[in-house]
Amino acid sequence: MNDPYQILGVPETASDEEVKRAYRELARKYHPDNYHDNPLADLAQEKMKDINAAYEQITKMRSGAKSGGYSSAGSSGSYGGYGGYQQQYSSQSSSGSSVLQQVRIAINTGNISRAEALLANYSDHNAEWNFLRGAVCYRRGWMDEAKRYYQTACQMDPGNAEYRQALEFMERGTESAYRPGGQPFGTEVCGGNLCLPLCCLWTLCNGGGYCFFC
Amino acid sequence: MYCGLCHILGRRYGQAARFILNYDFTYLAILLSDPEEGNVSGARCYVSPLRQRAYLESSAAMELAADESVILAYWQLRDGVSDHDWFHGLKYRTASAALESAYRKAAAYRPGFDTAVRTQLSRLSDLEKESCSSMDMAADAFAALLGSAAQEVSDPVRRRVLEQLLYHLGRWVYLVDAADDLKKDAASGNYNPVALRFGLTTGSWTADARWEFALSLDHSIRMMATAFELWDFGAWTPILEATIYQGLFQVGKSVLDGTFRTTYRNDERKKRKKVEEST
Repeated sequence: MNDPYQILGVPETASDEEVKRAYRELARKYHPDNYHDNPLADLAQEKMKDINAAYEQITKMRSGAKSGGYSSAGSSGSYGGYGGYQQQYSSQSSSGSSVLQQVRIAINTGNISRAEALLANYSDHNAEWNFLRGAVCYRRGWMDEAKRYYQTACQMDPGNAEYRQALEFMERGTESAYRPGGQPFGTEVCGGNLCLPLCCLWTLCNGGGYCFFC
Repeated sequence: MYCGLCHILGRRYGQAARFILNYDFTYLAILLSDPEEGNVSGARCYVSPLRQRAYLESSAAMELAADESVILAYWQLRDGVSDHDWFHGLKYRTASAALESAYRKAAAYRPGFDTAVRTQLSRLSDLEKESCSSMDMAADAFAALLGSAAQEVSDPVRRRVLEQLLYHLGRWVYLVDAADDLKKDAASGNYNPVALRFGLTTGSWTADARWEFALSLDHSIRMMATAFELWDFGAWTPILEATIYQGLFQVGKSVLDGTFRTTYRNDERKKRKKVEEST
């Protein structure tokens, strides 16, 4: 296995606190939430596994050294749920259609072309069909259409939590995305240090505009 | 990097090919290049005849970038020929003729990429002819074109990362370019996918349309960022990080504000001069 310190990007002399901070930063970066519906989610998951293993190994080694060989590792502040958590759709179709169930399976296994073909041959364009069509569009990078299909799905079935979540994710844009340093970023967002006061001034003068985060 | 590319273009394709070089192609080379910076040599050139300038020695990745740049530049010029009448197309025809032999050579080196560029460009011109109102579909042709620049990368993980990064870079570039042309196209009546999508006939934004459009751009940048974090770009990490997490947003915002054409391009030129020293 590779050097766990190298994986976390810290020197062996780093303090426990520094190791923890490096681990948290990386865990935030490769967290499944940050790769929601992302065609590269499997690669991020691999990274997450490596990071979890490296952190666990370091805590194990360090606690072992302190208590003279007796290990009580693995529990000290590690994001327990991260590694095993998988971002997947429930494989149960909400409208009870077996074809749409197959579409869900195809999306979960990354076979977007198959999902697309199945949807094209399905004539009942109900709320779930629109939702899944949106999911396919998003993975293909067709962001504008994805949002519109999610919107239609929500209009047709306003009570459905799954569809609403997808639309909210689209509307939040980069709000929930990882960024080094942690500030929000976006075309209409002022994360920059210089831009911030100017933008706030602008927002005040205009009685509120597009700038949501100031 | 910039100087290194110029040297390769000159050596592989002759003097005419050196004039196509710009910073877009330099970015392509950075993305395709190896994590470690290569050897640096010094040489004089026409632009700097007295002082020796440092340049990166050629590598397989830079050759790939040079070949793909020639192909892209040639088709860009051919596109200029077909977009203009005989007289106004003259400068494009002259330039593409000068690049003809270089292009033939490059297309022979990278037949796959040449085919992909041709296919997507003809798709794009069909979509433009039928006034496609889906901005995703129009952008997809250009995005797929740029994404195919990664197809010759051998490492499968790296290829997937670069394909995704380049796809969304292409999508972003196409859409921002369309937004930048909004006023001009509204006056001339030319095809503009963004205007059609949001029903903007006067060339200016409505608040809702602007919000929707910025959101769509942001999701593309988010995709670029998540792809970027999955590969180690070594020495190029800082410059790419600054571009993805800051530069693109700033350009996008200034295009939407309409300040891009007047002020940004001049600033950018000055800034790029500085960047040239480091790349």
